[in-house]
Amino acid sequence: MSKDSKKGGISRRKFLQGVGSGIIGSYVLTPGIAKAAEALKKNSEKLILSVPLTLKVNGKQAHLLVEPRTTLAEVLREKLGLTGTKVACNNGECGGCTVLLDKKAVYSCHILALDAEGKEVTTIEGIMKGENLHPIQQAFIDHDGLQCGFCTPGQVMAAEALLLKNPKPTRQDVLEGMSGNVCRCAAYPNIIESVLAAAEKAGSETAELK
Amino acid sequence: MARKIVKSRYYGDEGLIETMAEVPVDKLKAWGPDAELKVVGKPVSRLDGYEKVTGKAAFTFDVSLPRMTYAKILRSMVPHAKIRSIDTSEAEDLPGVLKILTHKNCPVIPWHWGTTVLFDTEVRYQGDEVACVVAESMQIAEDALSLIKVDYEILPFVSDPSEAMKAEAPKVHAWGNIIDGKPSLYSRGDVEKGFQDSDVIFEDTYSTQVVVHNPTEAHCSVVSWDGDKLTVWDSTQALFGVRDAIAKSLSMPASKVRVIKKFMGGGFGGKLEAGKYSVIAALISKEIGRPVRIALDRKEMNLSVGNRPDSVQKLKAGAKKDGTLLALSHYSFGNVGAYPNDADCSWPLRTLYKCPNVRTEEYSVLTNLGRARAYRAPGHVQGTFAFESMMDDLAEKLGLDPLELRRKNYTEIDPVSNRPYTSKLILDAYQKGSEAIGWKEKRKPAGSEKGRFRRGIGMASQIWWGGGGPPAYATIKLNEDASLHVMAGTQDLGTGTYTFLAQIASEVLELPIEKIQVTIGDTETCPYCSLSGGSMTAPSVSPAVRDASEQMKRKLISAAGAILETSESNVKYSAGKMSRLDDPAKIISISEVIEKLDEKMIVTTGAREANPEGYEINTFGAQFAEVEVDTDTGKVRVIKVVAAHDIGRVLNQKTLFNQLHGGIIQGIGYALMEERVVDTYTGKVLTTNIHDYKIPTIMETPQIEVIIVSSGDLLISNTGVKGVGEPAIIPTAAAIANAVYNATGVRIKSLPITADKVLMALSEKN
Amino acid sequence: MKNFNYIQPKSLKEASDILKKKPHEAMLYAGGTDALGLMKQDIIKPEEVVNLKSVPGLNYISYTNGKGLRIGALTELAEIAENPVISEKYPILRHAALAVASPQLRNLGTIAGNLCQRPRCWYYREEFNCLRKGGDMCYAFDGQNKYHCVIGGGPCFIVHPSDLAVVLLALDAKLTVFGDRKTRTVQLKDFFVSPGDDYQHENNLKAGEIITEIQIPELPQDAKSAFVKFRERGVWDFAVVSVGAVIRKEGSKVISGKLAFGGVAPIPWMDESLNAKLPGVALSEEPVAQLVSEILKKAEPLSKNAYKVPLVRNLTKRLLLEL
Repeated sequence: MSKDSKKGGISRRKFLQGVGSGIIGSYVLTPGIAKAAEALKKNSEKLILSVPLTLKVNGKQAHLLVEPRTTLAEVLREKLGLTGTKVACNNGECGGCTVLLDKKAVYSCHILALDAEGKEVTTIEGIMKGENLHPIQQAFIDHDGLQCGFCTPGQVMAAEALLLKNPKPTRQDVLEGMSGNVCRCAAYPNIIESVLAAAEKAGSETAELK
Repeated sequence: MARKIVKSRYYGDEGLIETMAEVPVDKLKAWGPDAELKVVGKPVSRLDGYEKVTGKAAFTFDVSLPRMTYAKILRSMVPHAKIRSIDTSEAEDLPGVLKILTHKNCPVIPWHWGTTVLFDTEVRYQGDEVACVVAESMQIAEDALSLIKVDYEILPFVSDPSEAMKAEAPKVHAWGNIIDGKPSLYSRGDVEKGFQDSDVIFEDTYSTQVVVHNPTEAHCSVVSWDGDKLTVWDSTQALFGVRDAIAKSLSMPASKVRVIKKFMGGGFGGKLEAGKYSVIAALISKEIGRPVRIALDRKEMNLSVGNRPDSVQKLKAGAKKDGTLLALSHYSFGNVGAYPNDADCSWPLRTLYKCPNVRTEEYSVLTNLGRARAYRAPGHVQGTFAFESMMDDLAEKLGLDPLELRRKNYTEIDPVSNRPYTSKLILDAYQKGSEAIGWKEKRKPAGSEKGRFRRGIGMASQIWWGGGGPPAYATIKLNEDASLHVMAGTQDLGTGTYTFLAQIASEVLELPIEKIQVTIGDTETCPYCSLSGGSMTAPSVSPAVRDASEQMKRKLISAAGAILETSESNVKYSAGKMSRLDDPAKIISISEVIEKLDEKMIVTTGAREANPEGYEINTFGAQFAEVEVDTDTGKVRVIKVVAAHDIGRVLNQKTLFNQLHGGIIQGIGYALMEERVVDTYTGKVLTTNIHDYKIPTIMETPQIEVIIVSSGDLLISNTGVKGVGEPAIIPTAAAIANAVYNATGVRIKSLPITADKVLMALSEKN
Repeated sequence: MKNFNYIQPKSLKEASDILKKKPHEAMLYAGGTDALGLMKQDIIKPEEVVNLKSVPGLNYISYTNGKGLRIGALTELAEIAENPVISEKYPILRHAALAVASPQLRNLGTIAGNLCQRPRCWYYREEFNCLRKGGDMCYAFDGQNKYHCVIGGGPCFIVHPSDLAVVLLALDAKLTVFGDRKTRTVQLKDFFVSPGDDYQHENNLKAGEIITEIQIPELPQDAKSAFVKFRERGVWDFAVVSVGAVIRKEGSKVISGKLAFGGVAPIPWMDESLNAKLPGVALSEEPVAQLVSEILKKAEPLSKNAYKVPLVRNLTKRLLLEL
């Protein structure tokens, strides 16, 4: 390769030759660990207080005290016992934790709980009337839009957000609207059918009302 | 109901399983192909659908107990090192930290067949367990991890299996880097002579990548002690296996360990083993006297709980001009990571076609990376990609239609054991699948397409075991209100176990499915069933439920006979009611019978019968893929997959189709995008999240057409069911690779078939 | 994730002052979609997280006929994708916004955050003490560099991850930046910093500076624009490469235009000498093929990313021919 010239910085191959492979590990790691520990020690000397938070979840107010770093998913699951919201990646990469924030879908694992203050949070527990299923939930059962079920609450919430915004989605709209939710079992064909069916049913019921 | 103890043999994820089990003496007659079944085979909605769509389903991840504490494992950041010292003092001082376990204060508990212990003083891959913190909250446990100081003596490492095989390579274990120190060998006939007699020889090398299960629910346990009794909620595919492994590790009787798993968020083979984390949690829980929850994070999921090993496969085939295979040889090696497992993948080559002369030589190679585990059809997925790609290449070289080449080498008997199959309908799968994809009309000569977007069609065959076998038991309770409770110590991975167990009982006893409750996933309340892997849950457990249900029916008839003062043969059972044949007005319901019996309930236990002797039980199938290759970018889009499979009887059309969809789409991930990427200079994994590790999304969903060519295998069991979970994924990658070749004339021999590879191959070709 | 104090400033000045006073301990925070990921991985460990969302008046889309478009820094990508004026006047911007991440992330991620996000290089994101994190070497240079830059690299070889930056560059956008109690305007093309100049920062924001607005000039009536993002998965993935084009043409001939590229360089890439060759080019097979062969002519691919050169050329060619 021609690149370890002027701009190329340090070639790793050369670097390895210079110091031997045994040392590179400790070179890369030890200072990192030491630094992290130091920083943490320093940090722990600083007083970071939990702060009060008022959340409106599924129409009810909750008054909480949280560390600022707490995510919305952590509050929902650990403080409010709303374990329907699942955490699978904890990094905004899968959609299992999808909830609605002012009717828009967000990843609750990837938003600070403090950022949800003053907004309406809706979780899977909040779209039902008592024990009665929401039409989207019924459609997921009827069309078998799930396998293991772990991602399902997130899928249902993403579908709810999609249909709130676009009650008559095309197949392509469904793909795009549901694209932020991974299903590792890959029940995708049935998820698509479930969402389309829920939309169609809602559409025909609206038509009947008219 | 008379029982006997028999030996039985069948294949699972880990190869041949030989069991001794109690089975019924008299086999029930299997439901025939034309049996008129009202519930079985129908698209019944999942029994557990309500729990899952509402978020009420109690996954292990959601279990919360009073006074529960939180555990987090510190894992090695380096691929190979000796731990000189660990300083946990600062972490212990952190308020809220309850206990820290390291090699210094943990009992020596062997793991991975004694090749390591729970906390080893030598770490052999990035992700190996170093310490565990239990704290009042997850956040505190995480904070504490960063306060633990570990002084490593860095050791040389190896991450590439071809390097690891060399004599001078750093040793992962003192005893060497090759499992058993030698290859796993198989041969039949005279391969050299076979090649000599061949008109055409084709040889090439194919390779596959490491892929990671990444189920959505992390590996996790919640453990709780009650004196000397331990309850473990675990996200597992193997209740009893986990129970026994934990009991053994903690030197306690298995009867004192209860394992519970009601729902799990995916497993795919990665949750067939007990995890170190469960034992660690149990040890700490006992000491602190509080329940412990331990859930791995996504990074740990990508480093430490298994993967499908990679493979380099050198294949050679010899054939006559007419396509008759005369010789096949297979040389391969695969990376099993830091602790023993196997990377063998030659079974498809050994068994898919008739070929008199075969030789295989396979090496399972240790490296300083995360250990491999069973992953949905272990070995067969990588083996089928290579072998079925090669069959296409061979067909091209012979000037034959690839489908014809496969038909030409069809075999009625298993070429390894020379036993006949209980059933084999692969020719039907070829026929119906090829018609559905438009093989004749749409498929053009390879590379003849022009223009930016080029379409192609390819196919591949599938073989797998999936017949299941004993032991498997089911207990059913019929209640006074004519509701039924089915109990079996099996697992539902999202595969629909809850539902099909109810369907079988509903079919036999003609009770509405709403009146049937199913309890599975509990070692204490349920009779034994084997693990859920190897596509054997449905074929193993469904016959036991039918057996129990038929016994129940006989008991009811017997009781009704006594109550209605007539012989059993004069009693007709219909939809929960017993009537006299000679006087249909004399009729009695289940509730009335049970009331009279003073028993409140009737209980029966059924067992899976023995597998027939002298046969092999296999699943078969063929998948056909249509792809479109964008020659501007090299990107492959799968347009349609037709999956035609012989999997015995269909128990539930809805869940079966769904499982096939899922297997195919996971197969698309394997074929086109999933790959664990390692930095070879540092031995560290670069894809530790599910953004860089690319899992298929809804956008990658093709049109899928499922065709089931079988209607029930009369020889294997009273339900005639074979499994489908693994067959679904086996041929997908090869079918796609063959379709890409058909579209472009370019053969991609290494998975995944990413755009960069296709684009560069296209530009080389031009 | 380390704990922090969450600061809720009420004004730009207040926010800026905290950031300036504690340049190493304080971090500006908006949608959080990137920042949270960095904090969860302990790549950054701020003590003070300054929530820009508590400053009012930074979330707007405002179009003035003849003057162009102004977008407030905190405007979410979903808002941009759904705005009717943007769809009509700047479809390329809508297209790029829609191509970002996933629907859920677009509901939180902001336009300024998108421009300021940190690189996705896996060595940067994983436990490697790389140059950009203050270490001594670039691990990608001779490591796993399939997704890394083919031009403009050294000593660090990241690509800039922003999709919006590519189209905003082609649209000749400007940024309004607040800092030191005043605002400055910076051309987007001058905003990004090459690793040759500073390998620890991707842009030239100084401590305490905050982007407040993105301004996009009025497009001529006859301007055509297009954006294409190539990714391996249909969602979530960052661009392997992307191309943005804003072209004026008369008949089939280009009068003037700008091409910008993503995924090829450590900064959103615009080659002035290439754009200078656009006028007069007829948008048909032969001349376009000739033009695209000039793209990335000085590319120096790493061991695993040579494919990016033909990929960008092919995509650009198709983009121009379909304008």
